[in-house]
Amino acid sequence: MGVQEPTVVDDPPRAAPPGRMPSGPVAAPGSPRGRGRSGRERLTVIEGSRRHWALRALAVVVVVAVLLQASQAQAFRVGQFTNVFIIAIAIVGLNLVTGHTGLLSIGHSAFFGLGAYTTGVLVARYDAAPMTTIPVAVVLSFALGLLVGLPSLRIKGLYLALVTLAVGVSFPEIIRRAEELTGGAAGLVVRSASLAPPAWTGLGRAQRGIWMFWVSAAVLLLVMWLSRNLVRSRFGLGMRATRDHEIAAAASGVRVARTKILAFGVSGAITGLAGSLFTMYIGALSPDGSFTLLKSIELVTGLVLGGIATQLGPLIGAAAVVFLPQLTGSLSTGPLSGVVFGVVLITIVFVMPEGIAGRIGLWVRRRVAVVPADRPRPAGDAPPASTPAPPPHSNTHNRWEDQ
Amino acid sequence: MELFLERLISGLTNGSIYALLALALVVVFRGTGTLNFAQGELALFTTFVAWWLTTQSLPIWFAIAAALGVGFLMGALIERLLIRPVAKRNDMAVLIVALGLFTGLNSLAGLLWGSETKIMPSPFPNGESDFISVGGARLYGDALGVWGALIVLMGLMTLLFRFTKVGLHMRAVADNATSATLAGVRTSRILAIGWGLSGAIGALAGVLVTPLAPQQLSLTTMFSIFIAASAAALFGGLDSLVGAVVGGLVIGVLEAMLTGYVSVIGGSLQQTSALLIIVVILFVKPTGLFGTTKLVRV
Repeated sequence: MGVQEPTVVDDPPRAAPPGRMPSGPVAAPGSPRGRGRSGRERLTVIEGSRRHWALRALAVVVVVAVLLQASQAQAFRVGQFTNVFIIAIAIVGLNLVTGHTGLLSIGHSAFFGLGAYTTGVLVARYDAAPMTTIPVAVVLSFALGLLVGLPSLRIKGLYLALVTLAVGVSFPEIIRRAEELTGGAAGLVVRSASLAPPAWTGLGRAQRGIWMFWVSAAVLLLVMWLSRNLVRSRFGLGMRATRDHEIAAAASGVRVARTKILAFGVSGAITGLAGSLFTMYIGALSPDGSFTLLKSIELVTGLVLGGIATQLGPLIGAAAVVFLPQLTGSLSTGPLSGVVFGVVLITIVFVMPEGIAGRIGLWVRRRVAVVPADRPRPAGDAPPASTPAPPPHSNTHNRWEDQ
Repeated sequence: MELFLERLISGLTNGSIYALLALALVVVFRGTGTLNFAQGELALFTTFVAWWLTTQSLPIWFAIAAALGVGFLMGALIERLLIRPVAKRNDMAVLIVALGLFTGLNSLAGLLWGSETKIMPSPFPNGESDFISVGGARLYGDALGVWGALIVLMGLMTLLFRFTKVGLHMRAVADNATSATLAGVRTSRILAIGWGLSGAIGALAGVLVTPLAPQQLSLTTMFSIFIAASAAALFGGLDSLVGAVVGGLVIGVLEAMLTGYVSVIGGSLQQTSALLIIVVILFVKPTGLFGTTKLVRV
């Protein structure tokens, strides 16, 4: 980690940290703009009010409607959506450590792979029911995450990124080596009979696609909700403080090493969970298929494209990395998609460093503000349209508004 | 003994290649403070250029010179157009641009020249009979050529950094860019030269290694070399030229010995074992064996 500008620690969880913002005006969103200058009135919603609940209910209805609509698509499309959800779960995990804690990991393919192989081996070799393998996969990935995070006690920044690189590179080699268990380079095939949906669902073996669609969607929603709460918790505050200025965070009483190690653990566990679902979805694993460094790069691309340290970024990014190669693949096969990947990644860093979700978030916050009910009202705030808030106020005031 | 010598020779040869690419990484790190993940793929791209020139029936030495030129140009352009605009922002932006270059350059090479394996001619005599016998072990011409290239390059780099104005400026920028700028060093030009230099060194490593590499010239040739090279650079502490060379040779020899003598590892866990050693070293000495500890002010 280079020396970063010291930033406000209680920066709200949504968009990228100020250091990552393109320029000044964005770093202080919503100051006089939005309200005074454009003359547009901002919709203010008080947290817990009826209007707030109505908006939440609307969001739930939209999500359910979209999911129902998507589940009606052709089996092939449903499979693609499932893939998007699974990649999105993996990116949610990556987001915790890379987005919110500021530690770039290029080894998350290993967590994804560990989760996938745990489920694969348990189901194929020990006849476990697929769903019961999830906790095992999560615990193992959590443990690996702690292990990877452990060097952060002494190793920092770029050196730590190289440790994650080591993990990512080693994983396929180890899988190839542990042949008796994993099937080695030839791969591991899980019979589709053992991946059939549980009996209580009433779904047959042929309906595994739709079953995995709903399971992945449910897990994704759960994981996004958990990650949102984690980031807003006291621990999440510590994560963001560590990211923004490690030394200042340590001086303020954040236990930096513990925060990093735990962040890696939780992040690994979530990405491992995605891997576990991936096995149930795909049914066949090979060390060089989905668990190489390229997978890590794909996850990082998705995260950056969707929006680092945003809530919706992982989902948007996952959709992009799943569908983008196919769009270009239809033009020409093979290497062109890699070129497009690279170009997109670089372009995003230049023109939209806050990512798609970050950009949308900024746009929405300029129009809608959700404020806590007990928010202290700064003086002179009463008629919002007529008096543009004077600068000294707008500062303290923004911090509240954006939460 | 004979077997041991042969393993030592092959280890030193691979190690020299790692050392070359590690030098490229270190030159960039000293200037910009970042690890160039695209270094290996940049070398791959320039090697493809060299290979393409040899297929146009141009002499191999001309092709190598052209590859070095292209490497310098691409390195400098990448620094100026892609890295510098985001370098001020933070480490992660630079790393992500480098990751983009990594995938982009690799696929671009595949797009332009196809993904099938190419045979790259060696600039050194590498026939079956071109060897000298050292204690019964065979020392082939191309291995000697690689060692020679490393020694010559080390000499040139030492001359550059010790005795030239550009070298002095590069050291000044690496030490403290702001002070260097205030003292009248044209920092931005120096940074571009540094990246160009590392692009050229990487290109040299690429053209030298492909005739030796088991997979010849294919899209995956440089990746494992890059991994070993970054481990080597890290071993030496990322900012030490001597450290990079020592690191490269140590990793090359270790790899050859582990593969040869430890049957559990037996060829399939090479990278893992090399990387494990690096992680342990980092854990004991977080700035590498030859690295300097940086003071951070709050």
